[in-house]
Amino acid sequence: MNQQSLSSASPVPDTPAGEALASSSHARRKFRHFKDKLAGIGIAVGGLGVIAAVLLIFLYLIYEVMPLFRSALIQDVSEFRLEAPHSDNVLHLAVEERLEVAMRLGDDGEALFFNTSDGALRNRIPLRIPQGQSIVSFALDTDISRIFALGLSNGHVLIAEYDYDVRFGENNERLLTPVIRYPFGEDSFALYDNEPVSRLSVRSNSSELLLAGTNPSGQVRLLRARRETSLLSAFSGASDADWKTELATLTGELPALEQLYLDMDRRWLFAIDASGHLSLVDVRPAFSGGETVIADEVSLAASGGHITEVNFLLGGISLLVGDSDGAVSQWFLVRRDGGGFGLEKVREFDAGGRVLALAPEQRRKNFITANEQGYVGIYNTTAHRQVAYTRLLDNAPRTLAISARGDGLLLEHGDGHFSFWRVSNRHPEVSWEALWQKVWYENYQQPEYIWQSSAANNDFEPKYSLAPLAFGTLKAAFYAMLLAAPLAVCGAIFTGYFMAPKMRRNVKPLIELMEALPTVVLGFLAGLWLAPFLETHLLGIFSLLVLTPVSILLAAFVWTRLPEHIRFRVPEGWEAALLIPVILIVAYLSFLLAAPIELLFFDGDMRSWITHDLGIAYDQRNALVVGFAMGFAVIPTIFSIAEDAVFTVPKQLTYGSLALGATPWQTLSRVVLPTASPGIFSALMIGMGRAVGETMIVLMATGNTPIMDINIFEGMRTLAANIAVEVPESEVDSTHYRILFLAALVLFMFTFVVNTLAEIIRQRLRRKYSTI
Amino acid sequence: MTESNTEYAPANRSKFKKIDMGKIGGHEHSPAAEDLPSCLTVNNLNLYYGNSHALKDVNMTLPQQRVTAFIGPSGCGKSSLLRCFNRMNDLVEGCRIEGNITLDGADIYHRSVDVADLRRRVGMVFQKPNPFPKSIYENVAYGLRIQGINKKRVLDESVEKSLQAAALWDEVKDRLHDSALGLSGGQQQRLVIARTVAVEPEVLLLDEPASALDPISTLKIEELINELKDRYTIVIVTHNMQQAARVSDFTAFMYMGKMIEFDTADNIFTNPAEKQTEDYITGRYG
Repeated sequence: MNQQSLSSASPVPDTPAGEALASSSHARRKFRHFKDKLAGIGIAVGGLGVIAAVLLIFLYLIYEVMPLFRSALIQDVSEFRLEAPHSDNVLHLAVEERLEVAMRLGDDGEALFFNTSDGALRNRIPLRIPQGQSIVSFALDTDISRIFALGLSNGHVLIAEYDYDVRFGENNERLLTPVIRYPFGEDSFALYDNEPVSRLSVRSNSSELLLAGTNPSGQVRLLRARRETSLLSAFSGASDADWKTELATLTGELPALEQLYLDMDRRWLFAIDASGHLSLVDVRPAFSGGETVIADEVSLAASGGHITEVNFLLGGISLLVGDSDGAVSQWFLVRRDGGGFGLEKVREFDAGGRVLALAPEQRRKNFITANEQGYVGIYNTTAHRQVAYTRLLDNAPRTLAISARGDGLLLEHGDGHFSFWRVSNRHPEVSWEALWQKVWYENYQQPEYIWQSSAANNDFEPKYSLAPLAFGTLKAAFYAMLLAAPLAVCGAIFTGYFMAPKMRRNVKPLIELMEALPTVVLGFLAGLWLAPFLETHLLGIFSLLVLTPVSILLAAFVWTRLPEHIRFRVPEGWEAALLIPVILIVAYLSFLLAAPIELLFFDGDMRSWITHDLGIAYDQRNALVVGFAMGFAVIPTIFSIAEDAVFTVPKQLTYGSLALGATPWQTLSRVVLPTASPGIFSALMIGMGRAVGETMIVLMATGNTPIMDINIFEGMRTLAANIAVEVPESEVDSTHYRILFLAALVLFMFTFVVNTLAEIIRQRLRRKYSTI
Repeated sequence: MTESNTEYAPANRSKFKKIDMGKIGGHEHSPAAEDLPSCLTVNNLNLYYGNSHALKDVNMTLPQQRVTAFIGPSGCGKSSLLRCFNRMNDLVEGCRIEGNITLDGADIYHRSVDVADLRRRVGMVFQKPNPFPKSIYENVAYGLRIQGINKKRVLDESVEKSLQAAALWDEVKDRLHDSALGLSGGQQQRLVIARTVAVEPEVLLLDEPASALDPISTLKIEELINELKDRYTIVIVTHNMQQAARVSDFTAFMYMGKMIEFDTADNIFTNPAEKQTEDYITGRYG
């Protein structure tokens, strides 16, 4: 019977039915093979696609960030000789914003305007120098205001402004007409009586002018001109007669002055003598007839060289001093501990050789130097970075001019010879030092880590320190993990090991559901409900944090002492449910009792007690709020993975341990936890990665203040939140924009390094505790 | 017992090719179970997993320092009964027990019993070798460490003694601190036996200890059981009737949660009293 059934069941190839069967099985096999291959390809494509996507994101970030670290590029445009007759000595050289026209002011009182492409003369405008007088000194306000002052041989000072009138022609071409204006009137101001003004400095705004000058005998005089705002002039418009002048003479000794500089606020006079000694003079008492106050004295040429060029950096706060040794130092006023101001040398740059020309850029904290070997250097002060240093000339330059956007460079060398260069220098503000080290910013007492990417004024110094952001990121993650790690891991261990399976089936999905909560909702709740709540119930929260674990332990202890007939009513593994009322009662009590305790010990308000008695700053949106809110967001991630790790420890190991007479606790600590440790570790790392990259909660629940303070009651700004806040308002391809990409890259690298490290450690642990 | 050891290996194996004749069991002369000093006594034991009635009115007395084998088809309750002896059934959700079991006269299901202590006295070896992911040394020392014994000299001594008792010492003495997971399946199972023996239990429960092993390893485990029985009361669950016949002094046949027959191995395999037993051992069902 056995044989019969066997022969009838087996396919016989030589019958038609058997053939059909064989061919169909062949087709089936082929199809199966095809499906197998297709699945293999699909999986390979998917896997490689993921790797490629991550790699592409990484490469794109690098691509966006790379230009930040590129040096400036200087390209030759033209080389020409100014054919038009011109004076030998140049007072000032300037390039118009669109790089079309340059202006050269000679000491003969003529302004020449010529093309930068070929040197062809466009306009020659003589200044209104009174008959018989000559120019003995020159001072520029700034290249932005384009106002300059000329000291004349008769003791008068003429104020003028060079400018361009822009019209658009029929074919929409831009037509420039250079002009010379006299914004403070065509008449000159009398500083001295028939004595030449040998040195001069000028500062102005639309309503006030301040001049400082010295005569050959070294007497320093100040002249202040203010616009008279009479009712009549308000209607008739400004005229020469509207300027009211005051004259003051500085008392005291200021020997052998070489250079005079007024600061932008028209308060301080920097008087430099031939040996490089600078006296800082407060000019305000001079006008009220008081004694001259010298606030500080420093030697600028400490190294022994002598001063060759001095200029203000954009903003008029920092003084740049170039010397004969090729060093350029940056100085600015710093408030001293005693209350006064002093001049501090902030940093130094190497210009390669005797500095012959030194010009600041008009929109960034950059400056350009030219030394006697013809090398030109471009520097950024904040970043302490040399962006470019190349030899552009064979001989020594006379002077240089940089265009308003910093993209055109005009050098005069020899007799009327010019060379014009195009500069590509888009991101000079970035260096390792500027990003990660303490930087001494203008108007700051000492070097600090500051993130401040924008401000209302144009001459603002951007502060791109990533240190406070990285710190804020770690701080937020730290406080979140402080709450989440113990809760989630302990919860996972309890759920995975002790809890009754039926209860576990309810608890685990419930906690995992927490993960589905949108973080924007969490952040919203944290910022608008939790933060004010914490502020008013601070003591209640702290007593809750202390009392909850204590009461849980106490409840557990009491439970073990209860008579057996009560204990056996609760099935094994369900005891945890008994803690719910305990925790609720403790929470209620700690908030109930907080008010009287607060009244007794903290004058009724713990928050103000912290601020006033302890002297700890308190922000409403602080790290404590973030700890709670982000901790809440991270708990399900850690819990879920850690619980899986604990639960999947092979039961035979647990049983093996229990069968040897180990208590459940011993089994847990000696067998289950070591075996589950790789999983628990990776749960913590993934939680950490989540906390580091989390955006919405920190965005909404912190004040987003980029400060570096570990204080739990102060806020922070994280890298992720910073990107979210600032990307929409940053100009595409600007330095700020690229630095935000750099912040993203840092975040990416951080999670990459942490995850790689975690994976290596996890692999090690797993090898040690590899499952059976 | 010593004489049975010396003649055991070759003679016994050939004899069990035909189990229905000749001498059965490791023991030469087998008095009835009631005549021997008893170790474990089962009284009217009923066991339920939720609604299913897994053990029905089981009564038996297991004699001291003898090997008792439980045989029967899958799902007959032999493993459940075994797990009752060290209360491993407590870990199964929804498991309920009526009746009682006494160990040396004391009820092991009494509320005052410390389960951990009971399990130390009644050791258990599982079907699948389950060494801990630790070194060989630490595996054997585990039972002592959890009792708070950490003196190196004591541990060293116990580890060597236990490994020798489990016939593993010569194979692993040079690599005591290597991971136990590097051992072969048979070695792992002997390590687990060594680990169990190290805490010096009174009873050894073996739940199909050789079913996951190759024939050579199985032979070694069987030899080991024979050597251990003069020190321990051994209870073994097995699917393999030849194995039961080879190693046991007493054999219990269970079917559908009931104890059908419990007698000396000789009687069960040569002269079963019950028809069901005879059907099973002659291979009519199972």
